[in-house]
Amino acid sequence: MSSSLIPTESLARVGEVLAGPVTVPIDAREAQRYAYAVGDENPIYFDEKVAQAAGYRTITVPPLFITHALVQPKPSNMLREDGLYEDTTSVHLKVSRMMFGGEEWDFFEPVCVGDAITATTRLADLDQKEGSKGPFVRLVRETTFVNQEEQVVARSRQIGIAR
Amino acid sequence: MNGYPTVQSTKVGDRLPEMQKSANEAELFLYSAASFNPHRIHYDHAYARHEGHQDTVVHGPLQGSWLTQFVTDWAGPNARLLSVEWQNRASAFVDEEVQFSGTVVALDATEGVVELEIVGQKSDGTILMPAKASVRLAGR
Repeated sequence: MSSSLIPTESLARVGEVLAGPVTVPIDAREAQRYAYAVGDENPIYFDEKVAQAAGYRTITVPPLFITHALVQPKPSNMLREDGLYEDTTSVHLKVSRMMFGGEEWDFFEPVCVGDAITATTRLADLDQKEGSKGPFVRLVRETTFVNQEEQVVARSRQIGIAR
Repeated sequence: MNGYPTVQSTKVGDRLPEMQKSANEAELFLYSAASFNPHRIHYDHAYARHEGHQDTVVHGPLQGSWLTQFVTDWAGPNARLLSVEWQNRASAFVDEEVQFSGTVVALDATEGVVELEIVGQKSDGTILMPAKASVRLAGR
């Protein structure tokens, strides 16, 4: 690769913990706000009896909610002009633009209201590829979600495309 | 579980009922709030244009939650979503309709698990998000 978009010191960070471990309680009110915001009014997210009839201990939560439950609040003086927070964990790359490339999720155990979920995010993968519009970097952040009984409930891989 | 698919009632090639989704400005705002996401491209039209987008941008993870709903609405409350993945190939914008369609591409009758191939596309046919999911269907 003649001109690498990935500095050596960034490549050396593959495997490093980027965020966490952080633990949050799964709260009905917050999960239901999320369900309404995505337009998913499945009664298993709102009605304990329906959730239990479907085999859950109690009210469960939309599958992707746990990512957002784990977002840590920050003061507004950390906001940049684009509205995003300063990201102290960002991986340095010689690129101008980072795009959301997609996600891959595995679900192992149900997540219910009252659970305490601990999430840890690692830099799982960083590599340069050749696309039709020139070279780009594929960056994978892998988050493992563990419940209060130390069961891995889910794993997500968020794929960033930078060029 | 009247109406929901079971291992017995499902076969490879079955198509899921299509689902249409879109988000207006208020709904985009609510998603930003519920996900604590202050990124300006999702509520500030002028700023989204300034960053080169044609309009206010639908959040990628919001489309992800539309996708999981497409699967769980079909599979029913007793089924369990085992995995889902998608690529964000293009952006959806405020008020744009996104249509989800999907097909059963594999069925493991012993485990009760189906594999789905799904696509989310705009009304002009632009593919927004090719996707896959696997689901354990409810009992016999």
